[in-house]
Amino acid sequence: MIQKGMWWKLSGIILFLYVLWGGMTIPLRPGITSINPSSAKTGDTIELKATGYNTHFASVRNGRAWLKLDSVHAIKALNWQSENNNEVTFRFILPQTLPNATEVFPLHLIIDNETDGAFVHPNALFLSSSTDTLSFDAIPWTKHELGQFNDHQGIQFPYRSILNETIRNTFFHVALWFAMFLLLIFGVVYSIRYLSTSDYEFDRKASAYTNIAVLYGIFGILTGSVWAKFTWNTFWTNDVKLNMTAIALLIYLAYIILRGMNYDQDKRARLAAIYNIFAFIALIPLVFVIPRMTDSLHPGNGGNPALGGEDLDHTLRMFFYPSILALFLIGKWIAELTIRFERVKDHFYLKKS
Amino acid sequence: MKFKSFLYNLLLNLTWIMLLIPVTVQAQAMDFLRSTGKIYTVVVVIAIIFIGLAIYLIRLDNKLTKLENHIKNEQ
Repeated sequence: MIQKGMWWKLSGIILFLYVLWGGMTIPLRPGITSINPSSAKTGDTIELKATGYNTHFASVRNGRAWLKLDSVHAIKALNWQSENNNEVTFRFILPQTLPNATEVFPLHLIIDNETDGAFVHPNALFLSSSTDTLSFDAIPWTKHELGQFNDHQGIQFPYRSILNETIRNTFFHVALWFAMFLLLIFGVVYSIRYLSTSDYEFDRKASAYTNIAVLYGIFGILTGSVWAKFTWNTFWTNDVKLNMTAIALLIYLAYIILRGMNYDQDKRARLAAIYNIFAFIALIPLVFVIPRMTDSLHPGNGGNPALGGEDLDHTLRMFFYPSILALFLIGKWIAELTIRFERVKDHFYLKKS
Repeated sequence: MKFKSFLYNLLLNLTWIMLLIPVTVQAQAMDFLRSTGKIYTVVVVIAIIFIGLAIYLIRLDNKLTKLENHIKNEQ
C-alpha cells in the first residue's frame, strides 16, 4: 500500500494531526478576565473581586495576591475568599498616600497559588488620591513576600487578554503564510530553471507550486479576517499588512490568469516564468518591508515586537514549526498531483496534434 | 458543469439564507463564536482551511475525470 516516495506525504499528515491534537487540547495558562471595582481612592478598604479563566481558585490552600505599583511599591491582600474555581475576592487596605503627587496610578494585580502558579493582570485597579487626607501612612507600601512565586505545572499556552484561546490560530493562520512563502520560493526557483533549460516540466512545476501558494494566501486572508473579527472587532482594517498582502495576491492572481491563457505554449511558459520572478520580487517589499515601516497591528510590524516573548513562547513553538512543515508538505503533495495531471494532459494533447 | 451549477446554487441559497436570518440569530451566532475564550473562532479557521483544500481537490478530481474520458474516447 505504501509506495516509494510516500514517506514525506505521510509525515505531512502525521505532523498535521500532531498539531491539531496538541494545538486544540493543551490548555491555556490561567488568566484574569475581569476585575471589580476597577478604581479606588487612597485610604479605602476594598473588596476586589477577580474573575479568572482556567483558574482553580476553589482548591487553593495557599493563595496570595498583591497590588503592585512598581518594583518597590506593593500591597498584599489580607485574605483569599473563593466561592468557585473562577471567582475570588480579596480584601485590600489601600495606603493613605501615594509615592508621589501624580493624580492616578495604575496598579497591577499579581495572583499566586500552588496549582495555577503566578500570573499578572496589568492595570487592574486605578488608584487616585483622596485629596483631603493628610494623615501619616498607617499601612505603608511594602514589597512584602513579593517574589518566591509558584510555577505552573505542565505544558500550557500563554494567556493573552483579547486573544484568549485564539492564540492557537498561530498554528493555522500564521503557519499558513510561512508555508505559502516556502511554496512560492519553490515556484520561483522552477521558473528560473525553466528560463535556463526551456524544459516544460519546470514550467508545469512552477505553475503548480504558485497555484497552491496562492490558494494558501487566500486561506490566509480568509482565516485572518475571521480572527480579526473576534480580536480587532472588524473583518478588514486598513492595516498595511492586510492591504499589501491583498495587492501581492492580486499580482499572483494575474500570474494564474497569464499562465492559464490559451496561447502558444512556448511563449506562454516564457512569459509566465518572467512574470513569476517579477511577482516574487514585488512580494518581498510588499509583505516584509513596507509593513515594518508604518503602523500595523501585526506582531513584528510598526514598532510591535516581533514574534517572541509571550506571543510565541517555547510551548507555541513546539507546534508552530511542525505546523509550517506539515502545511508545506501537504501543499507540496497537492502541487505534485497537479503536476502529474498536467504532465499527462500535455502528453495526451501533444500526441494528438 | 454539474458541480459548477451545484456550487452556484449553493452560493445563491446561502445569500438568501443570510438575508432571511433575523439579526438576533446572527448576533447569537457571534456570541457563540466568542464563548469559552473564543475557541470556536479557531474551529472556524481550521474549517476554512479544510473546506478550501477539499474544493481544490474536487476541482482537480473533475479535471482528471474529464481527461480520462477524453483518453477513453480516443482509444
